[in-house]
Amino acid sequence: MKTRILTLALSMFIAAVARAELKWEQTQLELHPAANDKETVGHFKYQNTGDKPVRFKSVRTSCGCTIAQTQKEEVPPGEKGEITATLKIGDRTGVQIKNVTVETDDPANVVTVLTLKAVLPVLLEIKPTFVYWEGAEAPKPKTITVHAGKDFPVKELKVTSSSPDFQTKVEQVGNGEFKIDIEPKQMTHPAATTLTIQPDNSPRRFYAGARVTNVPAQNVPVGVRPQNVPVSVPPQNVPANVPAKNVPTPSNS
Amino acid sequence: MKSLLLRQALVLVALALVPAIGQAIYYRDRVSWQTPIPASELVTVAQARSWGESAIWVDARQDEEFARDHVPGAILLNEDRWNDLLPQFLAAWSPEKKVVVYCSAQSCNAAREVAKRLRDEAQLKNVFVLEGGWEAWIKTKQ
Repeated sequence: MKTRILTLALSMFIAAVARAELKWEQTQLELHPAANDKETVGHFKYQNTGDKPVRFKSVRTSCGCTIAQTQKEEVPPGEKGEITATLKIGDRTGVQIKNVTVETDDPANVVTVLTLKAVLPVLLEIKPTFVYWEGAEAPKPKTITVHAGKDFPVKELKVTSSSPDFQTKVEQVGNGEFKIDIEPKQMTHPAATTLTIQPDNSPRRFYAGARVTNVPAQNVPVGVRPQNVPVSVPPQNVPANVPAKNVPTPSNS
Repeated sequence: MKSLLLRQALVLVALALVPAIGQAIYYRDRVSWQTPIPASELVTVAQARSWGESAIWVDARQDEEFARDHVPGAILLNEDRWNDLLPQFLAAWSPEKKVVVYCSAQSCNAAREVAKRLRDEAQLKNVFVLEGGWEAWIKTKQ
């Protein structure tokens, strides 16, 4: 009986003393990727400072654009490791904050939220990226302003319209600041264009759009449906792996 | 006595303000991520469906997820390929239409980011985020 009580007391003591503890070096990281980087990777380092192994139960990200990876499923006592969070930059700009939620069997820290802050360089700030004229409106020029980022010195902008229905004029209004005036040549039928904006210092292209929309019925020439806007959409707009039936159409159901 | 109480209260308020301001400065970029989407910018599946043809559905998920399945007629527009995808969305848009942006779940931030860019950069009005996202839409289908 005495032995049983002793064993029970000892096991309770060990259970109370033995602990798993995952210590994170940092739970917040700030990254500053370069202009041409396609992705940015954050390394969240940890160490098991307890005397019991810690097991990762799940690692989830707040966005499909971020992939988190653990090096191992279980961290033995004393061992170090890291969780990497890779953010796909794509066409994202500005400050991006993504969370990685780590769930472990460590009772002291069941859930830890790791925060990845990526400050993506803004190369060109284009505002607005879209202008339009409604049928009843006068075909007056509208202005799109372009500001080059401070680490992206632009001396010249080349702007091309995908449609001959619009004409554009580019004017430099300051250091790295430009004004694009765009106007439709006609308001009698629906028209759309994609403006390709090409800075002199980079092969990267930027885009803006313009449209003449809701043309009154009496202005629409026979054979042109108002909804059927002629717009040049580059072929790469539809991902290669999207089946033909999934090609987006303006209709909704 | 009254002025002493007032002075003490002011000291306490000032002391409380120091960490509050510090936190506001430190977390200034995180506020928009953590604050809930205003109700005026959210739309339920039922509401969005009731808009019928006057709604444009925008799928803010990644290409592969869109290819697997999506709301019928939805247009793919995500931040991975924003520049490539925006023209086809704009071609379908018209001023009287309402835009319903969705991503894979309520916790996913992509729909919110895409909606924000449409409002801020393209300066479009009537842009909404679908409450409950793709999962909510799937639920109503069952």
